[in-house]
Amino acid sequence: MTQKSFRPIALLALTLGPALVVAGPKPGERLSFVSCPIVRDTRSVPCWLSEYAGELYYLTIQSDVSAEVQPPMLGHQVLVEGVVSDAPRICGGVVLSSVRLSVMPERDANCNTMLPADDRYKVDFNPRPPGPSGGRLAFAPDPSAAKTPPPKYEGPQTIDIYFDFDKGVSFRHPADLVSVLERARSIGAKRGTVTGVRGAHRLSDGTLLQESSGIAQRRADEVAHLLEGAGLSVPLAIRAADGESEADGIDDWRSRRVTVVLEP
Amino acid sequence: MKRLLSIVSLPAACAAAVIAAQPARGQWWTPSDGRPLPAYVEYANSSGRLGIVNANGTVETKGHPFFEALGTNGRACVSCHQPGDGMSLAISSVMKRWHDTKGTDPIFAPIDGANCPNLPSADPASHSLLLERGLFRIPITWPPVDAQGHPITPEFTLEVVRDPTGCNADPVYGIAGKRHEVSIYRRPRPAANLRYVASSRFGVTPFIGKTGALAAVDPETGKPVNMNMMADAREATLKTQAQSAAHGHLETARAFSPKELDAIRDFELQLYAAQAWSNGAGALNEPGGPSGLGPQAMAQGSDGVLGNNTTRFVIPMEDKWAHLPEARDAAERERNAFRESVQRGHDVFFFRTFWISDAMHINTVGLGNPIKRTCSTCHGMHMTGMDTANGWMDLGTTNHPWALEPAESPWAKKLPELPLFKITCRADLPPHPFLGRTIYTQDPGRALISGKCEDVGAIVIQQFRGLAARAPYFSNGSAGTLREVVDFYDRRFNIRYTEQEKVDLVNFLSVL
Repeated sequence: MTQKSFRPIALLALTLGPALVVAGPKPGERLSFVSCPIVRDTRSVPCWLSEYAGELYYLTIQSDVSAEVQPPMLGHQVLVEGVVSDAPRICGGVVLSSVRLSVMPERDANCNTMLPADDRYKVDFNPRPPGPSGGRLAFAPDPSAAKTPPPKYEGPQTIDIYFDFDKGVSFRHPADLVSVLERARSIGAKRGTVTGVRGAHRLSDGTLLQESSGIAQRRADEVAHLLEGAGLSVPLAIRAADGESEADGIDDWRSRRVTVVLEP
Repeated sequence: MKRLLSIVSLPAACAAAVIAAQPARGQWWTPSDGRPLPAYVEYANSSGRLGIVNANGTVETKGHPFFEALGTNGRACVSCHQPGDGMSLAISSVMKRWHDTKGTDPIFAPIDGANCPNLPSADPASHSLLLERGLFRIPITWPPVDAQGHPITPEFTLEVVRDPTGCNADPVYGIAGKRHEVSIYRRPRPAANLRYVASSRFGVTPFIGKTGALAAVDPETGKPVNMNMMADAREATLKTQAQSAAHGHLETARAFSPKELDAIRDFELQLYAAQAWSNGAGALNEPGGPSGLGPQAMAQGSDGVLGNNTTRFVIPMEDKWAHLPEARDAAERERNAFRESVQRGHDVFFFRTFWISDAMHINTVGLGNPIKRTCSTCHGMHMTGMDTANGWMDLGTTNHPWALEPAESPWAKKLPELPLFKITCRADLPPHPFLGRTIYTQDPGRALISGKCEDVGAIVIQQFRGLAARAPYFSNGSAGTLREVVDFYDRRFNIRYTEQEKVDLVNFLSVL
């Protein structure tokens, strides 16, 4: 930007400054930040929020294990990635779409905000009440829907398994691991490669947030150990990689992964 | 003394019927007793009567490996899994056996019926944990080894901070001793309703649902199991448990034969126990009553079913005791009042929300921390109130700061009885999400088997049936009564139950 063009824009910004603050984040804007989660109770299920740069963002609601976006944890910061949407606020927070949450592993006693139920905020779309369910998981497929036949796998297979920040295998992964075993069986895998990647994030404030060194190797070793322990008997080459070059602020969560390649 | 009140043989032990009391012989089963165990039998306890159902009919115990004294120490399986105690062992029975036998009953065998095997056997102080809390010593090899005998590198170091039994510092039995064992102290788990407990119909995959780690496998079939049987899930099947108990608890000179193991497994899978009569509520198995109560209901129910929903329920009651008809007399009025309390207790258990927080393996499985839910979120297995699969959690029963301990002060009349361990998790791995990298615990629970920091203090959830017959409660016997169980949770999760809610919950638990 030239000096010449800067002045009018700077003047405009000064003039519209208060209005811009009121306008808040723009729909479509990608955000990536680390902050404390906040839980706000309601008459039904609680909703989860987080504050960043003076704005409150809605993250998700409590439902059950079938939810695509699962609530974070008080006592820990959360890494939030999402896109500002133009949907009406929920529980007082700006709605983020395509949101990905990752609980940061270290304890943070400052993350302890629980807000009481407040009649201004209602969650009327909860698919699972705060107690027992109605008989099925909140986001389970409709049991009356026609069942799709199991996919048939052919040729080399590449499976990406994603992880929480600085974490190894967890409750998220049994389905992924079973999928690897099924594909290996299906294609008659003869060899494979397990590559662990150390994730990196370009946060909205420009900071580069990297996972701890050694996490790539640990993840690859752990996944290979589990696959072998569950009966995968093909030779697995184990590798480690750094995901720093992938950190551009767009879906950086994909850099926290293990990639399994199976060859027939 | 408890009395055996009735022995009734039923062609089909599942038939729901009000059972008439009959005079009977003693309640305690000594090894090699030789009596048949009837298809249906009731035993008295302080809340009423427990019913035992043998779904395959009367069991001839003579020559049966569950009942014969096959151990060199004179024990049989039945020694610590007494039918009258819901196939566990009530502390009232322990105390009575000490009194009746002057401490010579095989349950007091030094190997695990004493605080440490090297203590003088005739001294009741040597058995204080068994006599006062119903706890047996469980020696666990440390560092751990996996099912194939390969060493596991633990994610933490373990130090003994307090050793009131002297066993963990002992040159033979201690952690640094010849045997390399950690001694922890636990209640015997009920050997009844095991069709539910060992069911693999729900959520069993090669990987543990809550952690992604490898699930234990049945060594005979190679298939994964639900790991819901032992307090620390260290045994995969009823057979491996029986074999391990033969070596450990019974000190047998030989291993159980395949035929003996089959006989034990088959017996355990057809055996059901639940309260059948309540002093307050009357018959629990009467026709037309709540379908989830009574031992016959256990024999008829479906296993491997998640009951934390309004289609199956954990303990189905169908609101049958919610609005009872006008009583005909004072006795019926009193009974109905108790039944309505039981129904309210059920509703508290099932519908009363509170914030479940900082509980490992429940707040860490995608539900959030805290989560606003109910008792049945964790105690969700249809008919038993266990977790459905891989059910170990840290609800705070053994870990500081929630585990019950006597208050230490210069004026304290009672000192801590259980060992205390300091766990230091490795700095290069993620800390325990709620307890950090330094944890104090009476019993590291699952972590002694897995070596995982996140498993410290995680204990497999126990079943709810036959509770009235087998106090005390929790794996470390820290709750002497059902009221103390409720009070523990009230404190742990800041639930703020009303007095009425507590009474109702206790009444509900007492009829299971």
